[in-house]
Amino acid sequence: MELTFGILVDPLSALMLVIVTLIALLVHVFSLGYMNDEGETGLPRYYAGLGLFTASMLGFVVADNLLMAFMFFELVGLCSYLLIGFHFREPGPPSAAKKAFLVTRFGDYFFLVGVVAVFATFGTAQFAGPESFPALAEAGEVVWTPGGLALDTRFTIVGLLVLGGVVGKSAQFPLHTWLPDAMEGPTPVSALIHAATMVAAGVYLVARMYGFYALSPTALAVIAFVGGFTALFAATMGVVKDELKQVLAYSTISQYGYMMLALGAGGYVAAVFHLTTHAFFKALLFLGAGSVIIAMHHNEDMWDMGGLKDKLPVTYYTFLAGSLALAGIFPFAGFWSKDEVLYEALVHAPGEPLLFGGYLMGLLAVPVTAFYTFRMVFLTFHGEPRTETARDPESVRWNVKGPLTVLGALAVVTGVINMVPVQKVLGIEGIDLLHRWLDNEWSGIEGLSSHHYADIGPYSSQYLVGGEVGTVLAGAAVSLGLALAGLGLAWRLYGVPSPTEHTAKLGGIKDVLYNNYYLDELQVWLAYRTEDVAGVADTFDQGIVDGVVNGVSSVSLFGGSRVRRIQTGVVSQYAALLTLGLVALILVLGVTGGWFL
Amino acid sequence: MVPVEWYLLLAAGVFCIGLFGVLTRRNALYFLMSVELMMNAANINFVAFALYYGDLTGQVFSLFVIALAAAEVAIGIGIILVMYRNFGVTDVTVPTEMRW
Repeated sequence: MELTFGILVDPLSALMLVIVTLIALLVHVFSLGYMNDEGETGLPRYYAGLGLFTASMLGFVVADNLLMAFMFFELVGLCSYLLIGFHFREPGPPSAAKKAFLVTRFGDYFFLVGVVAVFATFGTAQFAGPESFPALAEAGEVVWTPGGLALDTRFTIVGLLVLGGVVGKSAQFPLHTWLPDAMEGPTPVSALIHAATMVAAGVYLVARMYGFYALSPTALAVIAFVGGFTALFAATMGVVKDELKQVLAYSTISQYGYMMLALGAGGYVAAVFHLTTHAFFKALLFLGAGSVIIAMHHNEDMWDMGGLKDKLPVTYYTFLAGSLALAGIFPFAGFWSKDEVLYEALVHAPGEPLLFGGYLMGLLAVPVTAFYTFRMVFLTFHGEPRTETARDPESVRWNVKGPLTVLGALAVVTGVINMVPVQKVLGIEGIDLLHRWLDNEWSGIEGLSSHHYADIGPYSSQYLVGGEVGTVLAGAAVSLGLALAGLGLAWRLYGVPSPTEHTAKLGGIKDVLYNNYYLDELQVWLAYRTEDVAGVADTFDQGIVDGVVNGVSSVSLFGGSRVRRIQTGVVSQYAALLTLGLVALILVLGVTGGWFL
Repeated sequence: MVPVEWYLLLAAGVFCIGLFGVLTRRNALYFLMSVELMMNAANINFVAFALYYGDLTGQVFSLFVIALAAAEVAIGIGIILVMYRNFGVTDVTVPTEMRW
């Protein structure tokens, strides 16, 4: 078994490299406006954190084996910790940073066990090539399997273990609780880490080893169901939040749920497509929120805003483009990708109850997404200004507007890289560029293509209404109709000059939603149940582990304090010691050399 | 020809006299002289073996040692002067500032 580092660049990682570097660049530029111009201190620490994060993420993207991926995965988590806790003198951020670190660590624990399991099962953790673990799994060649476990059961277990890390990092239920708290970090950090790139690491990891997951229908079904559930679950919580970044945080969790749903439904390309478009429009929304936060003197409560449309036109129009993309309105980027995700889930769902459940929940989340997105837009930018600050907001400079403009354009047009519905309906060939790119049309590595994944995957397509074209049209019409319904409801309730809170109409549900289904309390309660174990572990750590270390140092200290007394400072004594030593040496050599016999 | 063992015995004797001087004397100047004796004991060995093996290397080495001894005395005297300036004595047991 070899443990190596290597670089793997194929169409998937090349695409991811473009996304990560582009967004990192824009976020660095934006930081000039958000951090430097606002007179923050500790900027070297901030930029060092951003740089380290970008480097770790790039290392993760090009990793050619699971162990290397794991190491950079952890580094990415560390950077997240450092940056969330950037304002460490305030009470909130350090606590949020600790929570993010611990919750993702909990998932990574399973990931680590999964890495070991992959090594134990296949003797390698390479992603690509004939000796890679997906290829070996496909051929059924394992070096070790415990207790005569059936191969597909074994693959499912290993896959689910690795999935633990994915669920933690990509903020899927039930390990999503860290992400809303992570909004304590500076807003550019939220854009870079908690929307566009680090959270994408989990989804990217599943896509990276998709050849392995495709062999396990159970693991795929679990991924799809968890994804669909998270999409709906997080969207419902976004409906009642009052703070701009909180809404965006829940929408992020929800959108990653869609990606997981796509992966679980065999929609490898759809997931990567949604990853791409989401990276652009969510980075845009977070940077737009950052711009609003600058304008509002760091007040994030949407009920204190209103009417910012005329004061911040660049921010408004780019934010609107991002919101339309997030809500999935034609023809913005998010429409194409979300539509393809739901389409993939729909055509593969018959006969797969878990997948069908995931699809239904994903579909239900569409109007909810549109609703909370436009609730946010209307409350922030429309209506009458509700506070003095909103009447006279601070202006922003080029270093804020520039990144917003670039991302705004991308949020509008990114859909053109993958116009599959248009191709199917109108029969125009060659506009499904992303499909071709990921199918090694131009270049790639044998065995890492969407075509290959579809071949070994468990799903076959079934069209419900009117063949392929009919299903495409029906699916798109349903999701667009639902999105417009959500948007319309938001307009009716909040698109008025002086909107009022309508959440009270939800009654008791509102409290449940507002308190995130009490999951944080549940996790804290569970954490306290481990106190006894933690106590024993602490005793072991303090007594045995630290005891050994402290013991060694005590012995050294005591020994040193005694032995140093021979250093008297009198040279004659040194000379005597030297002579004695020489005599002793000669005697020893003589005795062992046999001179005296 | 005198057997090589006699030279070795002579060298050992001279060396022991030097060593005795280093161990018993307190005056730094005696130290220098004793060290000189020990080095010359080594020189005797070099020359004796050069003669014994009919090889000039040992003689060349002893010339180097003599040159080295000259340099060592220059530095040694320097140290003794500094010690005398700082402590007012040439007794090596008086300055014990470098102890633990």
